[in-house]
Amino acid sequence: MKVVPSRSSDWVRPVTSQKPASAIIEIDRVSQVFQTSARNDHLALSDISLTIEEGAFVSILGPSGCGKSTLLYIVGGFVSPTSGAAKMKGQAITGPGPDRGPVFQEFALFPWKTVLGNVMYGPRQQGVSATEADAQSRALIEMVGLKGYENFYPKELSGGMKQRVALARTLAYHPEVLLMDEPFGALDAHTRTRLQNDLLNIWERDRKTVLFVTHSVDEAVFLSDKVVMMSKSPGRIREVIDIDLPRPRRRNELLLDPRYQKYVVDIERMFDESDHAGSLL
Amino acid sequence: MMSRSANAILGLAPIVLVVALWQALVTFGFAPAVLLPAPGFVFTRLLEQLVTWAFQQEVAATLIRLFAGFAIAVVLGVSIGIAAAASPAINAVVRPIVRVLAPLPKVALYPALLLLLGFGHGSKITLVAADALFPILLSTYYGASTVEQKLIWSAMAAGTPRYKILFKVVLPAAMPSILTGCRIGLVISCIVVFLAEMITSTDGLGHALVTAARTFQAVDMFVPLITISLLGLILNALLGAVRSYLLRGFPEA
Amino acid sequence: MISPAAVARRAAPVLACIGLLAAWQVASLGLKNDSFPTALEAIRAVPDILGDKESLINILASLRRMAIGFGIAVLVSIPLGLLMGRSRAVASFFNPLLMVIYPVPKAALMPIIMLWLGVGEATKILVIFLGVSLPVIYHSFEGAKAVEEKMLWSGAAMGLSALQRLVRIVLPAALPEILTGCRTGLVLALITMITSEMIARQSGAGNILFNALDMGQYDTVYAMIIVVGAMGICLDAVFERVRAGLVRWSEPQFDMPLSFS
Repeated sequence: MKVVPSRSSDWVRPVTSQKPASAIIEIDRVSQVFQTSARNDHLALSDISLTIEEGAFVSILGPSGCGKSTLLYIVGGFVSPTSGAAKMKGQAITGPGPDRGPVFQEFALFPWKTVLGNVMYGPRQQGVSATEADAQSRALIEMVGLKGYENFYPKELSGGMKQRVALARTLAYHPEVLLMDEPFGALDAHTRTRLQNDLLNIWERDRKTVLFVTHSVDEAVFLSDKVVMMSKSPGRIREVIDIDLPRPRRRNELLLDPRYQKYVVDIERMFDESDHAGSLL
Repeated sequence: MMSRSANAILGLAPIVLVVALWQALVTFGFAPAVLLPAPGFVFTRLLEQLVTWAFQQEVAATLIRLFAGFAIAVVLGVSIGIAAAASPAINAVVRPIVRVLAPLPKVALYPALLLLLGFGHGSKITLVAADALFPILLSTYYGASTVEQKLIWSAMAAGTPRYKILFKVVLPAAMPSILTGCRIGLVISCIVVFLAEMITSTDGLGHALVTAARTFQAVDMFVPLITISLLGLILNALLGAVRSYLLRGFPEA
Repeated sequence: MISPAAVARRAAPVLACIGLLAAWQVASLGLKNDSFPTALEAIRAVPDILGDKESLINILASLRRMAIGFGIAVLVSIPLGLLMGRSRAVASFFNPLLMVIYPVPKAALMPIIMLWLGVGEATKILVIFLGVSLPVIYHSFEGAKAVEEKMLWSGAAMGLSALQRLVRIVLPAALPEILTGCRTGLVLALITMITSEMIARQSGAGNILFNALDMGQYDTVYAMIIVVGAMGICLDAVFERVRAGLVRWSEPQFDMPLSFS
């Protein structure tokens, strides 16, 4: 069910962190096999089980080729698992839906639409009136820091700006879960840290559930409540680590925090111990 | 790095050179004017002809065939191309047929079209459509089958039902390819309609050339040829303008 | 061992041919039109044409001219296209001229060139040459333009001269694109040849088609269409084999052939 807010500012819901945590996504013994050629199969995911609680920021961390993106696509309903099942609020996931909004590394903005047109797309598909969608979208564009760029085409924006538009486009249809597929992977280091900060600020406002795929240990620890470490060939869950750091998090404070440093060092060591250290990046 | 004006002058040079050579051949008597009329003479003749009713009739006949054939090719090419990209079953049927028909010289079908559809508009329009169809179909198919998967996923996640994806995402995303195919198809249409009229017709620009050739009127052979080429250039430029408007959001357009 | 999928892929065009001929057969039986013989009748007339010494010589002479015109066009167009692709000055010199020539119906030049050069071999070969050149130049140009600058820097660092770089780096790197142009050019050579023969009505396959049409020999008309169609399909298929062999290293080409007249 979709509650359409009556006023444009209503999408910012009050913080509801006191509510007891309940499972929003359940991944149950999911395996994914890809046929690489006529005779060879590649086991991308092997027997993954994972529960994600409502309002949690969960990162999936692992080397390239460990199937972390595939796992996200399964939750998104874009890919169906070879065996096992993923559930959203107890309902089996059979396809994409506006309750789960993806943000891709490649931005995947519609090149034929302006910034405003891209952000309005979701609400319009949901049956929101044009004036309503316009007002909501303009507010969102302002929130992601792109006021004044409403009538620009994606090609006229930098990578960081494109990813802000992509985030606004997804937030515009009020998904309950954000599925972020290495969203900052294609950005330079500076833009990347700025977007990480901004994402956390936006997230603090309504604490949507986020499933965040990354291969950066810093990024995962900085952003998440929980880091799911994966190993590759076949893709398995290696370890699930709770990140017990205070929120709201400030990057300049956190980098000096010994607890943060310990998480980063511990996770990196765990990857080093497995044989895939070299391929982590 | 050269400036744009320097580039333009450089580009005009060979065209000016060709005309100058042409003029020189006539002026210095290397080519008799009966065989090669002076460029100025051809040009004034073209302007004279353009205002005559008879010549305008020829142009109109050619344009009707050209547009009708091209329009059929666009409608068929885009719909078959999109359908083949969207459905594996249609693809399995269309692909081998296209592989056979695309390299087939369509002009060879012209005698059969004349027998079946007569010597009027029908046979020429069909030939134009048959020739313009394949570049449009192939570019549409190529564009529609290489649409970035994540664009489609983004639209589906935003709540677009599957049946709407074709019009909401695939068609606009394939538009650059479709329009490239249309540009090729349009120039082919110009060429083919003219050739069809030359091979057999009672009117049209191509027929005007053949009539002039029978009476050895060199000037009147050049006029229709230049007219159809100019039409091709103008239509190409118009489509180019439409293209840059439609693709204003796309990079490299 | 060949997988069933590969067998299906090879068989599909053959099935398509059979299907198209079957559709023709059904259509002609349904229409019962004197000027629309059935596919079988047309196929039966094919040996008559190929058996007739005069028309066979005619067709072979056409093919020879086509090969010569195509060969010269390729030899001239590839170097020109490559130079245009690597030199901005050369490109801006030739591009407007080529753009102006692009919409000119090449086969339509036949009567004019006939006026100057007569109806000899030179005229016919020249028209084919003109028909083939543009796509080959265009694709060579695009191919050369897309060559990675850094590959040329490496070449220069290894001490290759400008000409050596063009021949040893640009040419092979642009080869897939060049061959795509040649493939289009080959089909265009056939089309230009037939069209100009239809216009000139002197000799060749195009002339046989219209002679038969004028004399009401409808079986021959349709048989000739089959012959010409088969020539187009075979030339394209053979060239595609050669192309695939030459550029095995490159990414698999989009496998529906792009060709136009």
